[in-house]
Amino acid sequence: MASETVYRLEEETQEQLPSQSFWRMGLRRLMKNPLAIIGFSILFLEILVAIFATQLAPYDPYEPNYANNKAAPSAEHIFGTDHLGRDVFSRVLQGSRISLPVGLGVVSIAVLLGVPWGAAVGYFGGLFDMGSMRLVDLIQAFPLIVLAIVVIIVWGTEMYKLMIVLGFVFSIQYTRLVRGVVLSLREEEYTLAARAMGASHIRILFQHLIPNLLNVVVVLATFHIPEVILLVAALSYLGLGAQPPSAEWGAMLNGAKNLLRFVPMVTIAPGVAIMITLLAVNFIGDALRDALDPTLRN
Amino acid sequence: MTKYILRRILLIIPLVFSITTILFFVLKLIPGDPLAFLEQQSTFSLTEEQREAKMEALGLNDPLHEQYIRYMRGLILHGDMGRSVRTNNPVTYEILTRLPDTIVLALSSLALATALSLPLGVLAALQRGRWLDRLIMFMSLFFVSMPAFFFGLILLLIFALELDLFPSLGQGRTFTAYVHSLILPAVTLSLILIGVTTRMVRSSMLEVLSRDYVRTAHAKGVPGAHVVFGHALPNAMIPVLTIYAGQLSGLLGGAVVIERIFSWPGIGEVLVSAIFNRDYLVVTGVTLTFSLLVISVYLLLDITYAFVDPRVRLE
Repeated sequence: MASETVYRLEEETQEQLPSQSFWRMGLRRLMKNPLAIIGFSILFLEILVAIFATQLAPYDPYEPNYANNKAAPSAEHIFGTDHLGRDVFSRVLQGSRISLPVGLGVVSIAVLLGVPWGAAVGYFGGLFDMGSMRLVDLIQAFPLIVLAIVVIIVWGTEMYKLMIVLGFVFSIQYTRLVRGVVLSLREEEYTLAARAMGASHIRILFQHLIPNLLNVVVVLATFHIPEVILLVAALSYLGLGAQPPSAEWGAMLNGAKNLLRFVPMVTIAPGVAIMITLLAVNFIGDALRDALDPTLRN
Repeated sequence: MTKYILRRILLIIPLVFSITTILFFVLKLIPGDPLAFLEQQSTFSLTEEQREAKMEALGLNDPLHEQYIRYMRGLILHGDMGRSVRTNNPVTYEILTRLPDTIVLALSSLALATALSLPLGVLAALQRGRWLDRLIMFMSLFFVSMPAFFFGLILLLIFALELDLFPSLGQGRTFTAYVHSLILPAVTLSLILIGVTTRMVRSSMLEVLSRDYVRTAHAKGVPGAHVVFGHALPNAMIPVLTIYAGQLSGLLGGAVVIERIFSWPGIGEVLVSAIFNRDYLVVTGVTLTFSLLVISVYLLLDITYAFVDPRVRLE
């Protein structure tokens, strides 16, 4: 066992020559993972679809056609039409413009807000730290969806508001994580060395501490992107997220229950679209976690 | 030990107090007048005097701080959360009659998820790197990527509408009918957990299996199955329990959506309809109940830890 470990270590070291950065090594491992490649390909296709949705869609996704509503899938309407006669396929294409950008947007807000915040409270400590941690406790005492619902009904259902609220709520998790890591990194010798050389607090935070904890941040973000996409879809399903006539996939499922028996495609098409997106994001996330966490390997 | 528990409980009081206060004031900001909503939904309309009388009776004409003090006093002294504008029932009545159904739903899906993810996770850990492990891991990613409400609608389509094996909505009155109507919502809700817990059990099991005491057990000739289930699994369960507690709030949140799909008359259904009716005392009450549940589970978890691991309570 012991000799095997030594052997593996040697193999590892040789493989990494010439010296490469942590991120480059991670990227290389990531690109060796077939699931990650599948995930990236799906997302790439989906981004293309989102960009050219208007050109690709055979019909106007918002144009009702009452004469031909609840139509079964056919050559003209490959996924059929919904209760207002809108082409389901065109709407699914249109919906690709919402879920992924919203997921990425919310997590970006959360990271940009939570990481500096957590680093600052962890580094400086004191009252600011205590107050922030109580706020974290407060927010974590609610199921996420309930918290989102409460804010939405008070503030409004516009998508940008939902994104800001979710961004803030998710930022809490980065604050907590980063604070913990900074508490330990603060005691590292390189921090002491930087301070001894007269580096300012800001410089230590942004040059020395934050770059060293980005890997855990990326790992957390890989969990959050699919979570946010699901949450927004679930809220829209309840009628509290994207509002009609939006072609957001969750919103398309709102009211689909009544049509389920007659035109199941109205439910299946957007549902499968969400699933494929989440699967792609989860493939990448899973591979990224493996690639960035050396302790997980063997 | 008692001191530790007491301290933990005392820490919760300011938390609950601030949650209640924030909820009360934030929900007062909801645009729209509850009475106007009530009128919109029903056939009758109120005269100016009736309206005024109703507002007075509900205490909605008093200054905000008086309403707040009255609410807090009622809550602390009598456990009173006010009355629903729509049904005129006490909010606590609305909650207490519906909460058990949500708890039954949550617990049965928890049991279901455990029954599936525990063996799957252990199996994956034992078969690490082989095709079975890969298959289980792929399946768990698949489950994590499946939106629960979509899964629910598909189950509804197949098993209730097409095959007619289960009721498509509501809740059975007799015990067997109740269990029968519980199956689809519980299966749907358990989906939220299965993927996550399977992965958690697997990684926790992997970690424990590499420990020295497991090797010792093997070395001294303990049968393989006994090493796995007697020595490794109990230790692997500790981090899994933490994940469970963390999933509780996800489970309650999931219940809000799932109850809507299956018209399961739980507390989530109360919350969603209260929101659409601008019945904000009900919204406050239900949200408060949710957070109390989450806080109590975390408290219970902390106390369990303190029992298991003496270092925790000395901190």
